[in-house]
Amino acid sequence: MQVTLEHVTHTYQPGSPFQSTAIEDVNLTIREGEFLALIGHTGSGKSTLAQHINGLLAPTSGRVLLDGQDIHQKGYDKREVRRKVGLVFQYPEHQLFEETVAKDVAFGPKNLGLPEAEIAERVQEALNKVGLKDKDIAEKSPFELSGGQMRRVAIAGVLAMRPRILVLDEPAAGLDPQSREEMLQLIYGLHQQGATVVMVSHSMDDVARFATRAVVMEHGTIAMDGTPEEIFRHAERLEQMGLDVPSVCKLGIRLREMGLPCPEDIFREEQAMEALLALWKEGKAHGAE
Amino acid sequence: MALNNITLGQYYPADSVVHRLDPRIKIVLLIAVIVAIFLASNLLAFVPIAAFLVIVTRLSKVPVKMMVKGLKPLRLILILTFVLNLFFLQGETPLLNLGFAVIKKEALTMAVHYSLRLILLVLFSSLLTLTTPPITLTDGLERLLSPLRVIHFPAHEMAMMMSIALRFIPTLLEEADKIMKAQTARGADFETGNLIARAKAMVPLLVPLFVSAFRRAGDLAMAMEARCYHGGEGRTRLRVLKCQKRDYIACAVTALLIVCVVLCGKAY
Repeated sequence: MQVTLEHVTHTYQPGSPFQSTAIEDVNLTIREGEFLALIGHTGSGKSTLAQHINGLLAPTSGRVLLDGQDIHQKGYDKREVRRKVGLVFQYPEHQLFEETVAKDVAFGPKNLGLPEAEIAERVQEALNKVGLKDKDIAEKSPFELSGGQMRRVAIAGVLAMRPRILVLDEPAAGLDPQSREEMLQLIYGLHQQGATVVMVSHSMDDVARFATRAVVMEHGTIAMDGTPEEIFRHAERLEQMGLDVPSVCKLGIRLREMGLPCPEDIFREEQAMEALLALWKEGKAHGAE
Repeated sequence: MALNNITLGQYYPADSVVHRLDPRIKIVLLIAVIVAIFLASNLLAFVPIAAFLVIVTRLSKVPVKMMVKGLKPLRLILILTFVLNLFFLQGETPLLNLGFAVIKKEALTMAVHYSLRLILLVLFSSLLTLTTPPITLTDGLERLLSPLRVIHFPAHEMAMMMSIALRFIPTLLEEADKIMKAQTARGADFETGNLIARAKAMVPLLVPLFVSAFRRAGDLAMAMEARCYHGGEGRTRLRVLKCQKRDYIACAVTALLIVCVVLCGKAY
C-alpha cells in the first residue's frame, strides 16, 4: 500500500485574477507503515498536498498513484481511494451532523454500501479505538459532547471505513493539553497497530516524539525530506523558513553555546535526559578532582 | 467543486475611474440607466445604451470575460424569452415560414428587443458590483436611504445586515466547500442520483453549515458588543463620501444618454 505523487502541481482558480499555485512539482512517496509528519508555514501547501493523497483534489498537472495506479485515470473508482485513504480535516468536529454519535460514525461505512451487521460492528470498533467505549455515548447527540469528544467521534467516523492510510490535518489543534496528549497517543496507537499515518503538524515536539519521517514544505515545494534527526540538525534553515525546532534541540544548542559537550543529534526528551545525566556525572567527576 | 465561480456580486479589483466613482452616484446612475433601458422604444434606441456600456466597461478595466460570465446563469431565461416572443407574438409581416409556424417581422423585433433589454440590465448591474466593493456599496446604499429615517425606516440597520450578509457569503461558501470535501472523504456522493437522493445527500452538508453559521453569528454579535456597537446613532464613518468632479461628469454623461435614447425613440 503506497501512495506516490509525481510532479504534482495544483493551481487554484486558474485563469482568473485570483489564481494561485498552492503546490508546485511535488514528488513524494508515502511508504507502508510510515509515520510521516508534514511540516510547514501557514500557506506552504500542506493542506493542499494532504487533499491530493485521497483524490479530493485533482492535480492541475502531474499524477497521483495508489499502488502504481493513477487514481485520476478514466474508469478508476474513486471510492476505492476514499476507502483506503482516510482523511481527517482540520477541526473535523465541524462535519458532524447526525442525531446520534453511532449514526454519525456509521455514515462512512453506509456510503460504502456495507451490510447492517458489519456497519454496527465497525461503529463499535471505531468508537472503541478512539476511547469512547461507553454505550451511552453512542446514543447521545454529537452536539452534547465536549470539544475533545466531538473530535474523537469525527475521527471514529473516518476509522470506521478502515483506511490503510490515515491522513490527519492538525488533529491536535485547539485542544487543551490533556485532550491533546490523548489525541496524539491515539494516533500513535493506530500507527503501532499498523496504520500508515500522515500528520500535518505545527508542533515540532510532537514531530520529534512520534514521526519516523518528516517532510518540510516551503512555498508549495518540498524543502526537506528525511528522518526527524536529519531535519532537526538544520535548525538555522528551519528558522529561516519561520519554523521551529523541538524544545530539546533548543536546549542542546544553548548548552553547546555555553561550551558544554552536548551531542548534536538529540531531539527527544529521553535523549536529553541521558545527555544531561552524562554532563552532570562528568561535572561531578571534575568537581571531585 | 463548483462553488468558486460565481461572478454576480463578485468584486473585480482594479484602479479605474469607474472604481473611484462615489458609490451613491453609481447606484443612482444605475437606476437612471435602467430607466433609459426601459425608455428605449425601438432597436435604434439601444445603440447609444450599448455604446455607453462598451465605453464604461473599457474605462473600468474589467475584462469582457468577467462580464459575460455574469450572463451565464441567465442563459436559460434569455433563450426562453427570445424563443417564446419569437413564436407567440402576433404580427402582420411574415418573414419566414417554418412549416409549423410563421415567424413575423414584428415578433422578431420584439424578441430581440426583450432579450437585449435583459442582457443590458444584467450587464450594467454586474458592472456596478464588479467595480464596487460590497462594503462600499452598502455604505452608499445606507446614505441614500438615510432620509427615510424620518418615517422610521432603519437604514443603518438594513445596511449593516446587508454588509454582514455580503461579507459572509464567501466565508460560508468556503465552509460549505470544506464540509463537502470532508463528507466526500467519508464516501458521500453529492453529484449522482435522482432528485430525492441528491436532496437527501444535502443533509450532511446543510446541518454542519447551519451549526457553523449560528456559531459565527453568535461570535460576531459578541465581538461587536465587546467593541461597544450600539447601532447607527451618533456613529461617524471611516470614509466620508464626497462627490467630486468625476461624479458630476458621470451624471452629465448619463443625462445625455437618456436624452439620446428618447430622441432615438422619437426619430423612428
